Amino acid sequence: VSEKVDLKEFVGAFVTEATEHLESAIAKLLLLEGAARSGEPMLRHMRDVFRALHTIKGLAAMVGVEPIVAIAHRMEAILRDADRASSPLTAEAIDTLLEGARAIDARIKVLARGGSVPDPPPSLIARLDELDAQPLTKSASLTSTIALDPALAQKLSPAELEHLAHAAGAGLHAFRADFFPSPARAEQGFTINRVRERVAAIGELVKVIPLSVPANEHAPGGLAFVLLVVTSKSREDIATAVGIDAAALEELGPPTALIAEPVVADEPEELVLGEPARRGIVRVDVTRLDEAMDRLSSLVVSRFRLSREATRLAQSGIDVRNLQALLGEHARQLRDLRAAILKVRMVPIAEVLDRVPMILRSLRRSVGKAVRLEIQGGAAELDKAVAERLFPAIVHLVRNAVDHAIETPDERVRRGKPAEGTVSVSCTEQGSARLVLSVSDDGRGIDRELLARRAESDLPTNDAELLELLCRPGLSTRDEVSTVSGRGMGLDIIRRVAVEQLGGELTVSSVWGVGTTFTMTVPLTVSIIDAFAFECAGQRFVVPVAIVDEIVEIDDRLAMRIASNTSNVRVFMRRGESVPILPLEVLFRLGEMRTGVRKAIVVRRAGEPIAFAVDRMLGQQEVVVRPLEDPLVQVTGITGATDLGDGSPTLVVDLVALGANVRMTRGAAA
Amino acid sequence: LTALYVVLEVADATYVLPASDVRELETFSGATRVPAAADFVAGVVHIRGRVVPVIDLRKRFGLPPTEYTLESRVVVTEVGDRLVGLIADRARELLRQDSEIKPPPRVIAEQTQGFVKGIVEVDKRIYLLLDLDRIIGEEQDHGEREHHLDDGEPRRRALPR
Repeated sequence: VSEKVDLKEFVGAFVTEATEHLESAIAKLLLLEGAARSGEPMLRHMRDVFRALHTIKGLAAMVGVEPIVAIAHRMEAILRDADRASSPLTAEAIDTLLEGARAIDARIKVLARGGSVPDPPPSLIARLDELDAQPLTKSASLTSTIALDPALAQKLSPAELEHLAHAAGAGLHAFRADFFPSPARAEQGFTINRVRERVAAIGELVKVIPLSVPANEHAPGGLAFVLLVVTSKSREDIATAVGIDAAALEELGPPTALIAEPVVADEPEELVLGEPARRGIVRVDVTRLDEAMDRLSSLVVSRFRLSREATRLAQSGIDVRNLQALLGEHARQLRDLRAAILKVRMVPIAEVLDRVPMILRSLRRSVGKAVRLEIQGGAAELDKAVAERLFPAIVHLVRNAVDHAIETPDERVRRGKPAEGTVSVSCTEQGSARLVLSVSDDGRGIDRELLARRAESDLPTNDAELLELLCRPGLSTRDEVSTVSGRGMGLDIIRRVAVEQLGGELTVSSVWGVGTTFTMTVPLTVSIIDAFAFECAGQRFVVPVAIVDEIVEIDDRLAMRIASNTSNVRVFMRRGESVPILPLEVLFRLGEMRTGVRKAIVVRRAGEPIAFAVDRMLGQQEVVVRPLEDPLVQVTGITGATDLGDGSPTLVVDLVALGANVRMTRGAAA
Repeated sequence: LTALYVVLEVADATYVLPASDVRELETFSGATRVPAAADFVAGVVHIRGRVVPVIDLRKRFGLPPTEYTLESRVVVTEVGDRLVGLIADRARELLRQDSEIKPPPRVIAEQTQGFVKGIVEVDKRIYLLLDLDRIIGEEQDHGEREHHLDDGEPRRRALPR
């Protein structure tokens, strides 16, 4: 058992972690692409990409996925060389790196599905190798313009030197701070890691160089760290962060005498490039959270029973005021606990939107339009389950905007618009429970007349009617079939996701010639369960898989009627255990009790089995549960409603709570 | 003072609700029955992604049931956070009136079990102003409802099929 299972666990962890690093690498590569166009400095992004790839390579080597190691290694080498030579990456190089990232992505996905990972495409490897072999254009050495000890300067890449020099010229300060670690300082909270963090918080830490120094009382470990930092803050601020005297801080001016020989480190850049330790982050499989939620649900059920018992006591004249107060507090605590668990499932919307530029990028290519993407993610967080459902809808709206709405550059110029179109995705929180997500473009707007003609309908007079028309399945305002939007979801599906699945709204506003905005308003959280669907007396229901013990076939001719007064309850024997069967149609007053061979769903309440007879099972699926909030429909055993795709609500039944609630003679059954 | 009203027809009477309490009118094509909910609750429907209970006004008023038709409407009312649908035989927007609302004569108040809280007269026609809070049970205490499984008469009537 052991070996296989262990490896599988590793692979799961690898997939999660590598995907995360890869997403970050891709995001930074896209930023680099922008920087390449505008001529902005690339150093920082290059480092970030390097760091992410370095980690991916290490992880892949650990689980033995050679094809990923091969690609990541080459990409890493290109970045390292460019960094050392302080050479900007060409657009072509960034392109190839992105291709490499996609190749890694594809392989991670194969791995996640449990398939065998294909070798890297030879053409990609060839191009990466070619890039690596290319001589880099070195930028002019700026070493001389920086007043830094040559022995230290030697430890810096030209890019780093340039960075320090540039800072001094741009109204920022470049400081050198020497930190001497010692137990006494550690006690005061000054360790090199804390100092790094503090300095990084108020400035940019360009490099940390470890030096060996003669051991003395000031430097008991015989070790010093030279921190080179670029900041807008004052000398005093930096000195405080490092925990040294402001006078000891050196603004990079004229050269100073070297206090010691630098330590010869194997790979000095690792100090800077190494992933900073992530503190207090735990990766958790969502199913574990769902499990915690399930446990909590049963707690809520037992609380309900508890409060009923209290009411019963009160009815028999016992003073239960203290008990009631405790129960009230208990209820609040349960609510808080539920909120705490829900919070764990939240992901920042910014993280979801990070994936959008990549999609737009490939899109721009295929349609030959100039489009700029603006993303305002904001700080909102939403449930992972909502994010997963929302993302395809966002992608589709962006794709639609680029493909249908944004005009060709020529056409735009003719209309007096900038040649480059803009698609913006923005996100704001509405209250504390809803997210408003808009996708806008400054394209041609929707042609209402054309749309009405296509749909053979009246001209829409307002935005709501316009949306109705747009959501008619299979409708398009375009003459030719597009390779971009031809596949994927239609607007009707988007509305379905936003409205039916997530319980939100979709609206549109469009001005001919000016642009179109689609707005989705969705709840930040949603509850999703794995459920069995079944039918009873012509009505469909679902029951959470988690509470079902077993599904059995029963023949009531073999079951036994329990004593006189409970004619509808029968008992059958299962593995030596007597199990009462309750016909759900009678319990729910859906009609006459049915007989013959039927299905029964067995649950356990307080360890004892109860079976509910139903007509037939319809299968298992994940469903989004929406609570039945209104007091008119708050009924024990009905926890919510879902949409199985027919447009009308299907009730979610909690058979355990229902079983707990049914009055019947348990003595006869036991 | 001009006010807008939504007009509802149930059996032979014509009722009104302030338009400000009404979110929208929908055609009615059936609801999902909720076991053990009150008799007059026809069930739940999806309205704008929310699961909304609908009340059959005929049953609420103690009138004999009738078949739902193409003219049947769900008047979606909004009271605070709650959305509750009311099924009427017919419904239309809007009635504009600027006369005062008069309290109902006692005989009407009694005969309508308190569901009518005023009278509006427009063009010599009488409209009955519904007490929405009372209809949707806003003033009642709703405990959780329970299911029963016994031989005797059900405590609640079977839900409408």
